[in-house]
Amino acid sequence: MKKPIATIGALLTLGIAGGLAQAQRGAAPPRAPAVTAASTYNGPRTPDRKPDLNGIWQVLGTAHWNIEAHSASEGVPAGFGVVEGGAIPYQPWALAKRNENFQNRLMADPLRKCYMPGVPRATYLPFPFEITQTPNHIGIAYEFAHATRTIFLDGTPHLEDLDFWMGDARGKWEGDALVVDTVSLGDKTWFDQAGNFHSDVLKVTERFTPMDAAHLNYEATIDDAKVFTRPWKMSMIIYRRLEKNLELLDYECAEHVYEKLFKGRGGKP
Amino acid sequence: MRTSTTIAGLLLVVLDLPAIGGAQDGRGAAPASYPPYTRPASTFVPQRTADGQPDISGLYVAIPLPRGIETPLVPLSNRAPNRANSEFSYSLNERPKLPEGAQVRPVGVDPPDGKIPLTPEALARRKEIIANQEKIEHLDGRVLCLAPGVPRSTIPAPVVGYQIFQKPGYVVIFYEQSHLYRTIPIDGRPPPDPNIRKAMGVSRGRWEGNVLVVEVTNFTNNLSNNWVIGAISATPGVPAESLTTGHGIPHSNQYRVTERYTPIDANTIHYEARLEDPKVFTQPWTIAYYAFARAPKGYVPVEYACFEGNDKNLLLMTNTDITGIRVSVP
Repeated sequence: MKKPIATIGALLTLGIAGGLAQAQRGAAPPRAPAVTAASTYNGPRTPDRKPDLNGIWQVLGTAHWNIEAHSASEGVPAGFGVVEGGAIPYQPWALAKRNENFQNRLMADPLRKCYMPGVPRATYLPFPFEITQTPNHIGIAYEFAHATRTIFLDGTPHLEDLDFWMGDARGKWEGDALVVDTVSLGDKTWFDQAGNFHSDVLKVTERFTPMDAAHLNYEATIDDAKVFTRPWKMSMIIYRRLEKNLELLDYECAEHVYEKLFKGRGGKP
Repeated sequence: MRTSTTIAGLLLVVLDLPAIGGAQDGRGAAPASYPPYTRPASTFVPQRTADGQPDISGLYVAIPLPRGIETPLVPLSNRAPNRANSEFSYSLNERPKLPEGAQVRPVGVDPPDGKIPLTPEALARRKEIIANQEKIEHLDGRVLCLAPGVPRSTIPAPVVGYQIFQKPGYVVIFYEQSHLYRTIPIDGRPPPDPNIRKAMGVSRGRWEGNVLVVEVTNFTNNLSNNWVIGAISATPGVPAESLTTGHGIPHSNQYRVTERYTPIDANTIHYEARLEDPKVFTQPWTIAYYAFARAPKGYVPVEYACFEGNDKNLLLMTNTDITGIRVSVP
């Protein structure tokens, strides 16, 4: 069922990449109509007629604290949750583990150790991220801990023998939607501050569907047979940050570790 | 492999030219007899991106620096072979070649004596740092996995890949080293408020013909270990004015860098950085070298997670346990 779609996607990618080579080489942008059969997107496009995702984006909401529906607690705003269908379908042992994580979250959340946030958590941290879009690679730079991802659109296969905090991402355009498969994520990252977690067989399929120039519908399908009873999906809106001359700043998390450590030890500060 | 042997051989010849039998601390050494540095004259015209920039995008790897990298101050006999420098960085990749006719010389090109023009205070500070390497407050910021700043992130390290992206109005550089990145606007916007500080500085670029010129300002200096310039490890007997010493060149909040990225041919980018900081240097000074070679076909940049797991390293090196420290995240 998946295969025909993937094949069509690959063919489209190839065809458009051919046109793009010319556009990149200084000619006027091609006038060929975009492949927008089922798309209502009418925002700007790149020279290869893809939706132009270049720019700085950010998710609003409370998924960073808890991707499930939750009431407010001290320092944590309430939220409806981003998990489609409500609760995450944990296996019983995994639900117990999640609850234990929640109890220990102030020490156990990997983000508080300044580890890279992983995928999809990087997307909905309360920090902006910047997309740089080229035909073969999409770079995403995150303000938090200067994490990055490079999404390969060149048809190359996953690196599956290693683990990466931010995973190994291979993407393709399906019409106007950018679809990214990420694997090799390891088992050390969480989905949120509430202890929601995964194993090393996690596969994340993200779908960035542009709604207009300033909004992306974002869906991340979570597939991890070691932890969940079935694949499940979270979805949210990604907003384009429109402030003039905005650029990413620093949250150099590791610096803040050393600031704490050096205080009173003669270092600076 | 063969390439590197050739370059090393060439270097030996060049390095033999100056009278390098001076005092061990370099102070008595004769001035270098390298020819004055001249910017490479490039006739290469890159293709253009869709928005008309010279197209330098793509994957690159660092070109190994000449072994006598930074300065003629250090007698050749003091330069330990295979110390932790770029030598071991290339075991997995073919060593990139220097372009035809490249001038091989120390990286420090101005002032021509190869000394870093440190103020007396900065020199004393650096000596103190070098003498106290076992203390975590004086440990190399790169060992702490702090962002090494500019130009240090462009000095070859064990992780040598770069990815240059271009999009309308911007050049973006991803560094394989510690997943660093810089976004360089080329739209003429001014630098931000002085209260804005970034570990990699804030970059403002422009194209001068085919040369990308980047002014970098607004650097962080909130930790004693933010060293924006240096090689990797200290060599015994090297004077503190030498870049070879590697460690502990501090900077103030007035530090600024002017970088020039010059495409030499389709495969090579020459790099020049002029460093200014009136609180640390008595005059601006300049380093220059062939920095980037287009990566071999099939090169895949991978994540270099530096800080994750570094606690064990810090425990071993400095007997400091950071495993209990947590940082508030919004």
